[in-house]
Amino acid sequence: MQHFWNDPLGWGNAGIFIAGAVAVLAVVIFFVTYAIYFERKFIGWMQFRKGPNRVGPLGLLQTVADVAKLLLKEDTIPSKADKGLFVLAPVLAFVPSFVVLAFIPYSMNLQFADLNVGFLYYIALSGITTIAIVVGGWASNNKYSLLGGMRSAAQMISYEVPLVMSIVGVVMMTGSLNLRDIVIAQEGYFWDWNFLPQILGFGIFVISAISELNRTPFDLPEAESELVAGYHVEYSGFRFAFFMLTEYIYLYAIACLTTLLFLGGWNPPFPQLDFIPGVLWFFLKFAFIVFTIFWIRATFPRLRVDQLMSLAWKVLLPLAILNIFLTALGIELM
Amino acid sequence: MKGMLKGLGVSLKTMSSKKVTMSYPDMPVVMPDRFRGIQYFEPDKCIVCNQCVRICPTECITLTGKANPDPEKKGKVIDTYDINFEICILCDLCTEVCPTEAIVMTNNFELATYSRDDLYKDKDWLFANNVNVRQDNNNIGSPKGGAK
Amino acid sequence: MIRTEELLLNVGPQHPSTHGVFRIVVKLDGEIITEATPVMGYLHRGTEKLAENLNYTQIIPYTDRMDYVSAMTNNYVLVHAVEKMMGLEVPERAEFLRLVVMELQRIASHLVWWGTYLLDIGAISPFLYAFSDRERILGLFNELCGARLTYNYMRVGGVKWDAPDGWIDRVKTFVKDMYVRLDEYHNLVSGNEIFLARIKGIGQYDVKTAIEYGLSGANLRCTGVDWDLRKAEPYSLYDRFDFDVVVGKNGDCYDRYLCRLGEITQSLRILEQALEQFPGEGDTMGKVPRVIRPPAGEIYVRIESPRGEIGCHIVSKGKAEPYRLKFRRPSFVNLQILPKLLIGENMTNMVTILGGIDIVLGEVDC
Repeated sequence: MQHFWNDPLGWGNAGIFIAGAVAVLAVVIFFVTYAIYFERKFIGWMQFRKGPNRVGPLGLLQTVADVAKLLLKEDTIPSKADKGLFVLAPVLAFVPSFVVLAFIPYSMNLQFADLNVGFLYYIALSGITTIAIVVGGWASNNKYSLLGGMRSAAQMISYEVPLVMSIVGVVMMTGSLNLRDIVIAQEGYFWDWNFLPQILGFGIFVISAISELNRTPFDLPEAESELVAGYHVEYSGFRFAFFMLTEYIYLYAIACLTTLLFLGGWNPPFPQLDFIPGVLWFFLKFAFIVFTIFWIRATFPRLRVDQLMSLAWKVLLPLAILNIFLTALGIELM
Repeated sequence: MKGMLKGLGVSLKTMSSKKVTMSYPDMPVVMPDRFRGIQYFEPDKCIVCNQCVRICPTECITLTGKANPDPEKKGKVIDTYDINFEICILCDLCTEVCPTEAIVMTNNFELATYSRDDLYKDKDWLFANNVNVRQDNNNIGSPKGGAK
Repeated sequence: MIRTEELLLNVGPQHPSTHGVFRIVVKLDGEIITEATPVMGYLHRGTEKLAENLNYTQIIPYTDRMDYVSAMTNNYVLVHAVEKMMGLEVPERAEFLRLVVMELQRIASHLVWWGTYLLDIGAISPFLYAFSDRERILGLFNELCGARLTYNYMRVGGVKWDAPDGWIDRVKTFVKDMYVRLDEYHNLVSGNEIFLARIKGIGQYDVKTAIEYGLSGANLRCTGVDWDLRKAEPYSLYDRFDFDVVVGKNGDCYDRYLCRLGEITQSLRILEQALEQFPGEGDTMGKVPRVIRPPAGEIYVRIESPRGEIGCHIVSKGKAEPYRLKFRRPSFVNLQILPKLLIGENMTNMVTILGGIDIVLGEVDC
């Protein structure tokens, strides 16, 4: 893909880019469809249930049916809502979530755009979604969604800080922000992957990432039991589907990032297993992380707002800074 | 951390355990014999004693009797017998007091209809509702060795 | 200058964690509650007034619908009051059956509480764990009396049904399994640090406040008061069994949680002993006049329901219908402390505190 970027933009190039984008979109939509399906299946199994099994063989078409239902639903906008912002919010949430996917490498050569700033690009764009959530919560003109929007603004902004800080250690060890370089630096046995030398950073990254995703145990913005549904109380039909889609695309992105930054990307755990294609290794690690996130959702209760904030600022951030110092010390001594 | 890991262990273990989901609409649920579902009513057994009407806490039963068409027999026979299932709470008291077991419970519980009118069950409907009739009616309220 | 104003938020009557049609109007400063006004009565059906026109047997199905999570204890408090008034003897087997179903009901009720409380706090699995076990209890009740929720099982002078074949053995197996499951519950959440951080020290009150507000059940025992009517004023056959009253220390949500789960263990202990001593055969109905007419007078009878002290006050004029019937509903009384507890807490704690009180709206509004 890389050499196209260097050519001048022509009709042919543009066509290829669009085709690539559509392909990524298709992959992501496929992922979201089955992530939702498997989330429901796994959580069902963990609760003595069978999970969806009515639509299609083994219930495989359940999500398709759900999305079809959402599409067919009446499009409602509350009469006292701020119409413009209300309509804008789902779009504003979705677009950055899709754009961040551009830079993720799936194997040595399978990558849409090779960015030198890599991870920073993700942080910069995903921040826009926070704004969209606040906008959606505000524009709904509903007290619950306002509280949800405010919570999520506070939460996502607070957790972005430890999220960025936690990977500084990785960047220092590699000397690059480029995701491909980071993966290449992790070649070798599985103890060469970053999650062991950077165990502290890995822990902080996972916690802040789950929080960025607004998933259990950090699903406060849409805390069902107190805020009904949080920022998307008033959204229905396709607009709601966009928020949902955004959430799952970020799940995809975060799972990819964890794989790349800490679990060695497409590297096999032992160099002897090289004959299995890298994409498959990538997928296995990716699936494991997604499963863990679902697993946590099936088990944990939710944190409280003040605990969430103090966790970010009083625990994770100092630990992340400590991690940077420790990494620097380690690099210096070795 | 320890508590969280323990919890994760429990939920992971549950993944492979036996599921409790029933495939209900596909497979009918078999209720135990004592289950209290929609009543079955047998007009021939009814002696129009009005006990069920009097005991009903929600007053959902209405009945009328008429003179026995056979002039040689005394007493009344049932003419109309209606149960209003909008307010019936299936408390089992009517079958408990019935001295002749003319009204008994069945195991049928699927009462949903599209119209409220369908919830007025008359004598014929209740007589036709003759599957899964409860065997053991244990009508403790009726006098021992009485009308039976 | 930034202008701030208070947010008046109407929580309920349709809200996921008010456990029914309950409404609280809260004034919020940010997310901190400065004032809370509970509004109840959305489920008021006038049971007490209706009862004045019904005879005693007919009232029993109405009591099922008060606290629909523990209908057996409601049945019992009514029939027990009438029996006491009339001086009726209840056969031993019937009394054993009553005790067994009441303890099973206590377990079922605490399971519902446990599941929904954890759901309030944000954990989704415990709800289904609890309900899959409660399902077994409901199945047992279904076999016994033909209904899963509104049993209408007890009668003045006895019980409606004798235990079907093999029922006692099935209860025994259930008790055995339940011990294992209870350990699993504790492993699943009781040690979870997030959970502990959420409920420790929340909604705290001391013994004096608890007594002043007339709290009962786990809400009282969590402060350390050893008050369980099964022990303090033994009714039914509770004086024959060996069990402990679970008490807390701090009077916070965590102690209430431990009290309720501890009570499940104690109920299992009672069940074990009761099933061991279960009489082989005997009548299930005592000698009862055909028409139940308690003598003129008044009586107040109280027993320990899963939610606290449930009482039944009957004023009789010697007729087949009560002149006045009054239920002391533990949920209603326990709920009165809510506005006091909510002040200064944030929205999230509101749910924790409300869930910790364990209300059933059918009983609050009666």
